[in-house]
Amino acid sequence: MVNPLTKLPSFLLLPALLGLGVVTGCQRGEELGPVASAAAALKIRDALTAGGSGGGGAAAVAMGTGWGTLKGRFVFDGEDVPQMVPYNANKDMEACTIAGKAPLQETLLVDESTKGIANLAVFVRSVSRVHESAEAGSGKVDFDQKACQFLTHVFPLVLGNTIVIKNSDPVGHNTNIDGKNSFNQTIPVGESIDFKPQKEEAVPVSVRCSIHPWMLAYFLPRKNGYVAITSADGSFEIANLPAGEDLEFQVWHESASGPGHSLILTTPEAKDLKWSKKGRFKVKLGEDEVKEINLAVPSTAFSL
Amino acid sequence: MNSSVRIFCGWLSLVGVILLGGCDMPDAPQFRLNMVQMVSDATPTPPAYQEQIANVLDGMFGTPDEPFALPETGLDLRKLQMAAGPAWTDDKGANFGLYRKHCVHCHGVTGDGRGPTALFLNPYPRDYRAGVYKFKSTYNPARPTDEDLHRVLINGIPGTAMPSFSLSPQAELESLAEYVKYLSIRGQMEIALANYAFNDLGEEETVDDKGEPVLDDEGEPVMRLIPLDPASDEEQRTVITELLAEIMDPWNTVNEQIIVPEEGAIPVDNRPAEDVAASVAKGRELFYGIRANCMKCHGPTGLGDGQQDDFDNWNKAHKQFLDSLASSSEEDELTGTRDSVAASLYPIRNAIPRNLRKGIYRGGHRRIDVFWRIYAGIAGTPMPGSGPASPGAQGTLTEEEIWSIVDYVLSLPYETPSRPLEALPTNLELVN
Repeated sequence: MVNPLTKLPSFLLLPALLGLGVVTGCQRGEELGPVASAAAALKIRDALTAGGSGGGGAAAVAMGTGWGTLKGRFVFDGEDVPQMVPYNANKDMEACTIAGKAPLQETLLVDESTKGIANLAVFVRSVSRVHESAEAGSGKVDFDQKACQFLTHVFPLVLGNTIVIKNSDPVGHNTNIDGKNSFNQTIPVGESIDFKPQKEEAVPVSVRCSIHPWMLAYFLPRKNGYVAITSADGSFEIANLPAGEDLEFQVWHESASGPGHSLILTTPEAKDLKWSKKGRFKVKLGEDEVKEINLAVPSTAFSL
Repeated sequence: MNSSVRIFCGWLSLVGVILLGGCDMPDAPQFRLNMVQMVSDATPTPPAYQEQIANVLDGMFGTPDEPFALPETGLDLRKLQMAAGPAWTDDKGANFGLYRKHCVHCHGVTGDGRGPTALFLNPYPRDYRAGVYKFKSTYNPARPTDEDLHRVLINGIPGTAMPSFSLSPQAELESLAEYVKYLSIRGQMEIALANYAFNDLGEEETVDDKGEPVLDDEGEPVMRLIPLDPASDEEQRTVITELLAEIMDPWNTVNEQIIVPEEGAIPVDNRPAEDVAASVAKGRELFYGIRANCMKCHGPTGLGDGQQDDFDNWNKAHKQFLDSLASSSEEDELTGTRDSVAASLYPIRNAIPRNLRKGIYRGGHRRIDVFWRIYAGIAGTPMPGSGPASPGAQGTLTEEEIWSIVDYVLSLPYETPSRPLEALPTNLELVN
């Protein structure tokens, strides 16, 4: 009897068998990332269970007296001003278009004449004291949608205030707010729904409509009013900031290429402000000081 | 011995070596990190922090074989121990290692919804790590109650691969529900730690003994990563305790978030047929109307063939990660890992609205189940709520209106278009 295996050239057999071994024996998915060190973990557990961390945390100690103002402008430093394309509307066309055209997107709005960059969010990360003009609110702020577009593209909110979500369209919408406040409710034609967010976000979160998925806005709830969104000419102003302490500001833009859409600048003016790789800069204001910063933003700071 | 026989025996022994000797005994299963979070654009986490986060999580939650829970979590360690570890039965017949016996092959060791069978399932098994659950009795952003988790274990999720565990003893179900909660809290803590490391730690300038900044050859300050090490840093311990408290609060107060229908609005039992018909008609009007707007997604036919372009949160997170990868050109120390993470993801799936004509209700077919879905929406999905978003908030529809939509939705599978007649065998005698 001749074994059929011996008829095969042996140089073919070895790879075939190895292949068999790989297929049958040791198939396990590639696991990514590190695993814990038991010794380090035990130390951490002991420290966490020992208690006595004082609880309550380090209460912010109020520093300095008086108040100051920070204002400035962000200007696009590039030859070609970005051109926006219409939203990709594909349903409810009568309601979602104006004269047959969908509204233009707002991913990076640069003013033709002043080259100012709109919709940058500039806000303080933490403060030791808050001026009464910037304290938590108790009012109502409108957030409307028309032609299947959110009318405020970057929407800051001081916690304590209530958002009045309106629908000025002849079609129904739902407003789906991402993040810690997670809200998703239908907003009927011509009606409005009140919503009072409770939690602060570290950066703006997206707002969408599931019925018209091209609709997009950003929402930034903060505990205090030290937050500004740049206007069409790229300018912003935050008044009544606590003087005499190191203030760290976060700068965010939906199309910025830094981590979490932070705006990273490396210009000399930015270096003076100790601009970080997380899109943050530092300022210390004197009493009644009005500090003005003007920043040129190269097109490379954005990813489009 | 004949030479061909000798060659054959040689090959045979080689096969034996490969088959038997090739694989070590598997190591004890380990929790793995949420790598999408670690390399995401929102919290790019250097490998040093990844290791430290893994250590902190192990310190706080233990391992798949030896779970641990800080008293602040309120988790019952005995229940966790019954669910954790390898599956075995003691001499009295008590079962242990329940999670690995029943759940792990779909939901994965870490609860990431990526067990070995996950790729082959549609929908994908739930990733517990965000703490978001779809089928529950609470307001949209709230956590599920213990009873909600229990109900899913008892009923399974019809129309999906999630089976019913109604034959398991009560103690086993409680143990599993506790373990699922544990994996969620652990996963939420992981996300919180990644955010903390990115937002508040990170690089700082190195200083020498005299407190002077250390500069490199070009006069630039030398940077170092502030270690995440709560064992030696009291402030970090305080922060971690606060982060955990923030995660636990919604779990601990979930009973305040249960949607209890108003007595007056609940339709009475044994309603006359004409009342039911009137309610169905009203529900139908709302379903197709511009206030409830159900038709936009569930389609003019109710087949779920309306708006299908959106994603649930789990798929959306992966999609956003892949999109950010496509749009960024800069390389950094995470680039290689990002590519591996991207390659490891399952295909992204759209959120397809439910076909309401099938009579299969994933979150349960009782009227109250359907009521909760319409009232709160379905957390983590595009399905919006029509009731108030939180206790005392303003709803879109009244409860009475929502109950009418419940009536209409539950009538849909019995409408003629839902039950196309099948051809019966022809009785020729009758025809002729």
